[in-house]
Formats: sequence, C-alpha cells, structure tokens
Amino acid sequence: MQHMIYHLRVIWACMNKEIKSALTERMGTIMGVFLPVNFLILLSLFALGGGLAPTAVVMQETGPYARQLYDAMAHAHSFRLQMASTKEARDLIQAGRIVAVVTIPADFDTRVQKNQPVQVNVDVNNLNTDFTNDIRRAVPLSITTFYGKAFPNLVTITPREHDFYAHDTDFIPYLTVSILVVALMISALLQAGIPAAREWERATIKELLLSPASGLSIAIGKMLGALVMAFVPVVVVLATLILLIGVWPMYWGEVIGFTLLTMVIFIAYGTLLGTLVKQRMAFTALAFATSLPLFFLSGALGPISFNVPLIQIVAQLFPVYYAIVLEQHAFHGFDLNTYGVGTNVMILCAYAVGVIVLAALVLRRSTVAS
Amino acid sequence: MIPTFLHTTWAIFKKDLAVWWRNRLTVVVSIIPVLGLLVIQALGAVAVGRSPVALVTLDHNPKGSQMQQIFHQADVFRLKDATPQQAQKLLQTLQVVAVVTIPSDFTQRVEAHEPSPIEVTVNNLNVDFTNDIRRAVPDVITQFYRAQGSASPLKVMIHEHDLRSRDVEFFQFNVLPMIVLLLTLNGLITSGIATAREWETRTIKEMLLSPVARSAIIIGKVLAGFTATLLLGILIFSLGAALDWTRPEGTYWVTSLLVLALIALLSTGLGVALGAALQRIQPVSALSTLGAFYLFFLAGGISILAFEPTWVQNVAAYDPLTYGVHALQMAVFYSSSDLLGRDVLILSLSVLAALGLGILSMRRGIAS
Repeated sequence: MQHMIYHLRVIWACMNKEIKSALTERMGTIMGVFLPVNFLILLSLFALGGGLAPTAVVMQETGPYARQLYDAMAHAHSFRLQMASTKEARDLIQAGRIVAVVTIPADFDTRVQKNQPVQVNVDVNNLNTDFTNDIRRAVPLSITTFYGKAFPNLVTITPREHDFYAHDTDFIPYLTVSILVVALMISALLQAGIPAAREWERATIKELLLSPASGLSIAIGKMLGALVMAFVPVVVVLATLILLIGVWPMYWGEVIGFTLLTMVIFIAYGTLLGTLVKQRMAFTALAFATSLPLFFLSGALGPISFNVPLIQIVAQLFPVYYAIVLEQHAFHGFDLNTYGVGTNVMILCAYAVGVIVLAALVLRRSTVAS
Repeated sequence: MIPTFLHTTWAIFKKDLAVWWRNRLTVVVSIIPVLGLLVIQALGAVAVGRSPVALVTLDHNPKGSQMQQIFHQADVFRLKDATPQQAQKLLQTLQVVAVVTIPSDFTQRVEAHEPSPIEVTVNNLNVDFTNDIRRAVPDVITQFYRAQGSASPLKVMIHEHDLRSRDVEFFQFNVLPMIVLLLTLNGLITSGIATAREWETRTIKEMLLSPVARSAIIIGKVLAGFTATLLLGILIFSLGAALDWTRPEGTYWVTSLLVLALIALLSTGLGVALGAALQRIQPVSALSTLGAFYLFFLAGGISILAFEPTWVQNVAAYDPLTYGVHALQMAVFYSSSDLLGRDVLILSLSVLAALGLGILSMRRGIAS
C-alpha cells in the first residue's frame, strides 16, 4: 500500500512539474493550441477542390433536347457547370478557371429529332489524366443518360442504384473527421514530445534519472501533465470542427472517449520520441514531417480496404488508422473496417499500453551521455 | 574594403553551410513529408479512379455476356466476378465499393426494347468513391451501345480537342508541386533556424562585436540558405529527370533551373525574416513548416486550381508558388514558355520582397 502511495506521489509530482513548466513557456502553450487548429484548416483546404470538373457549356442551341443534354451533364456527378458564350468560355479556359468547354451546336435539336449524327465539341485542358479521363467518361455518359430520358424506347439500359446509407456524406464532412485525428496527433505529440526533449536539452533529466522513482511513474506523470495541457487544444480543435465547419457527431460519448484514447496514445508516442530525439527543434520538425504522409496512408480518404493491398497492410501498422475508423463511427456512424468498435478500441488500448511501457523503458535506459 | 566584405561574406557562408551539413536531421525532416507523399501517391496511383467492384452476371445470353465482357474491357473498375452471395459478403466486408448485377432477363428485355435496369448496390459512405461508381456504370452502358456500331441508337458524337499536346499521368503531374513544396519547406526551415540559432545560442554577439559589415553577415546567411536549398531541389529534380518524371527538353532545363532558383531564394528570404523576427528555434521550426504548407495548399497543392472554390483561386493569384508551379509544369511537361514572362516577373518581385523583408528583419534584430 505504501509502495502504491509512493508511486502515486511521484506521478502527481511529475504531472504538476510538467504543467507548471508548460505554463512558463507561453510561446509553446500558444503554439500547442495554434498549430493543431491550423493543421485542421490547412488540410481542409485540400478537401475544398472536390471532384467536379469546372466546365463551361456553350449553348448554341436552346431547344428542349439541348437543355435536356445540359441537364444530363449537370446530374452526371462530374461537372460544375456554367453557361457561357464562345468568347467567355475561351477566356475562362485560358485563364485556368475552367478545365473544359462543351459546345452544343446550333442544329442539335433538329438532328437529334431526325435521328441524324450530330457532333458535340469538347475542348479539354488536359493537364493530367485523372480529371481528363473523368471528363472523357462523363460527357459520353451524359449523352447516354440524355437518350435514356429523351428516347427511353431507344436506350433502355439504365443503372438502378440502391444505397447502403440513407444519404450521401459530402467530401468535406467526411474528410475533416479524418483530419481531426491528425490534428489531435500533432497536438498530443507537441504537448508531450517538446517537454520531454527539453528535459534533455537542459539536462534537467539528470535529477529524474538519479532519483529512486520508477521510470514508469515518471513517464506516466509526464504524460498526465501533457494530457492536462492538451485539454485546451483538443477543445478548440473539436469546437472548430463542430461549430465552424459544421460536422456534428452522431455519438457524443464516442467522440469524447475516442478522442481521449487517441490523445493518450499520441502523448505516449510524443514522450517516447522526445526522449529518443532529445532536441526540441528536431522533434518539432519530425512531428510535422511524418504527419502528412501518415494522414494519406491511414485511410483518411476512404476505407483502406478500397486501396491497394500494400497500403492496406502498412496502414494497419499505425494507430492513426484505427483512430480514424473510430472517429468516423463516432461522427457519422460509418464502419470503415470489419473489426467492430470494440476490437478497434482494444487495438488502440494495446498500442497505448505498449507505448507507455516502451517510453518508460527508454527513459530509464537513457543516460545523459547518450 | 570590397575584398574584406567578400571575405566576410564567404566566411559566414561557409560557416552556415557547415552548420547546416552538421544538422543533417533538419535536412532529413524537410525531405520526409515530400518523399513520403510521393511514395504513397505512387503506390496508390493504381487505385485512383478505379474502385473495387463485384460483378454478378445472372444472364449468360448474348446481351448479358456482351455486357459482362464490356464491364471487364472498360477498365473503369477493379472488377471481380462473383455470385450474389459472394458479392453480398464482399460488400459487407468492405472489400468492394459496389455490387453491379446484370439481371437474368437482361437479354430478353433489351431485345424487346423494354426498360433493362442494371442493379447497382453501392456503399455510399464516401461521396468520392460513390460518384466514381455513378459515373463508371453509365460509362460502361455507353460503351455497350457504342459497340453496336452503326446500329447504335446514340447519334450524338463527341469531338474532343485537347489543349495540351500530351496527357500527363496523375502521379507524374504531382511530382513538380512536391518539389516546390520541398524547396519552400527546406528554405524556410534551414534559413529560419540558421538565423534564429544565432540569437538563441548568443553567437550573434560575436558577429556584432567583430569589425565586419552587417550587410556581409546578412548576405552570407542568405547565400548559405539559398545554396543549401537549391542544391537539394536540383538533386530531387535531377532524380525525377533520371526516372523520366520531370525531364525538360533542351533549353527548358534552363527555365526549370531558373524557376527552382527563384523559389529557393524566395523561401530563403522568408526564412531569414522569420528567424530574425522570432529569434528562437522552436517557434521558427513550427511556423516555417506551417507557413510552407499554407503557401503550398493556397497555391492549389496537388490539385488543379480551377477545381478550387473561387476564393481560393483569388488568393492563389497572390501566392508566388502558383506561378512557380505553373512555370515548371509548362517547361517540363509541355516544353512551353506559356506565360513564362509573367511567372518569372512575379517570382522575381516576390523574391525581392522576401529578401527585403529578411534584410530588414535582420537589421532590426541586430539593432535591438
């Protein structure tokens, strides 16, 4: 019992020390809030583009068939359309404001009515194959869709869609939940790693290493201090996502629980890395450097099982992947893997325990000379 | 006077380069995000635009078989043939985005000119994947009709005219923005930290107490940062050329190197300004990284600017990296000098502004 009390006192003392040290470093505290929020905003910029090709339609014919074709294009899930004159369209494509111009010729309705061939011109700024192939696919399918509606006896084959979920979730509400995990990761890494590295830079770690306190108690105390300091950035990041970006959780309890678990894991990682790297500057740069590749690697854009096998395997090695799965469930009710919420939580808990123990071992085995 | 000035500048330049080389971790951490992104994109390029789909063919009569064949030939999916039960399992275990079913009476209905729906069950949790399916299935249907030749009911033909002489693969297209990101990141971090370090380690005192011109110190630091950043950029660009990703032709090598140099100088100037203003390594390191990413994403990042909302396009017009990326893409992919004058002018003016800011910031830091 006394042994237990002793360990708790060590944990409490280390936690207090971490909090007080952090509060004296105002710049670090401000950055701890400022950086994760900016990361959330920054990566959201990536999502703004969307997949709809900005396209101008030059309607040289304004009859019902031409309008039906325009309508088919508008519903092809491929275009962000605007009508324009020939000159306006040319200016827009040269200015880089649009990537394609579709010109419906003046005799379109007449020819379609007489079942005669008619040519639709498509000018494409074919900068890369990704969106260019989307346009090359979307224009013909718009034509098929147009025929399916205008001449249902001629074009009888149409897709009949059944959706898993009652409504589509737009790209930004989906992606920003994944970005939340990365912002939490950055916040936790900075809150834990920088103080850990600072101990080594200033050689104050000597006192800790020479003390009879266990490495585990010291590590847990440091992590708890970082967790307390991370409270404000977490609240700010969540508030930005929920109130500013407008993505409301489906399960509030899960959001709070999974966010806390995510923070614990990355605080443990931050403590471990900070102890290994021993330099604040290098640690900060490393934290940022690894976050962007990890973001793309960990199924941020969709279920990892839709990706190539190699990425599927690599992604599941990192806790970011499981954190994204859990937060997507908490916010949208999505299941992004077949493990179930319970198993995903257990995997993350195992990570947390493993990294905490590893951090304690590394701390105890490190020397000032190294 | 001039020889002393040059001698001092050279000494500062050598010193900063030596310190940069000793802190190789800084170099590594500015390369990691870029190389990491390139590797992930290279691995994932196969999956771009082609979602995993299960195809259930219940009609093995002529039209059903033809439709099945066209689904396979269309190359719009990563397709897997399955029975209904297998397809259902694949969908529920998230192995496929959608199940496409050719119904058993498909041939009969098509020949009778009756509505012949193709059933598409899609996991619509992500609108990006979902819209890929919503485009791809009608695309296959279109190909089915086109395969009828002159008997096809589709009389509307497309005449495509491409503005660019060649298509550039998605992955290859993204290499240049990544190189620009690398230059910006490295320039900001290297120069910013090199400058801030002088204050944080108090070595600025020795410099100021010495009888050397302040401008020699500043120019030496800027040159060192620029050299380190440009060398890194040229190394990665050359590696891209060797792999046939970023290989300009003839004189466009000169254009490309000029643009790389301007971007390196721009980021160096900004880094020196930031380092002198903040005078502490840790905030400089963090803000340099953040600043580099903001400049990068506000210039369109790895997407096409035209796809971005209007406000982003308007902001991008003031972001010098927009012009750097454009100039490089024109030179490398299309051997074109399209708007090169504009791009170089804006980059040059931005460089002057950044260097001016850097010099001013250092002078103020020194004076204080």
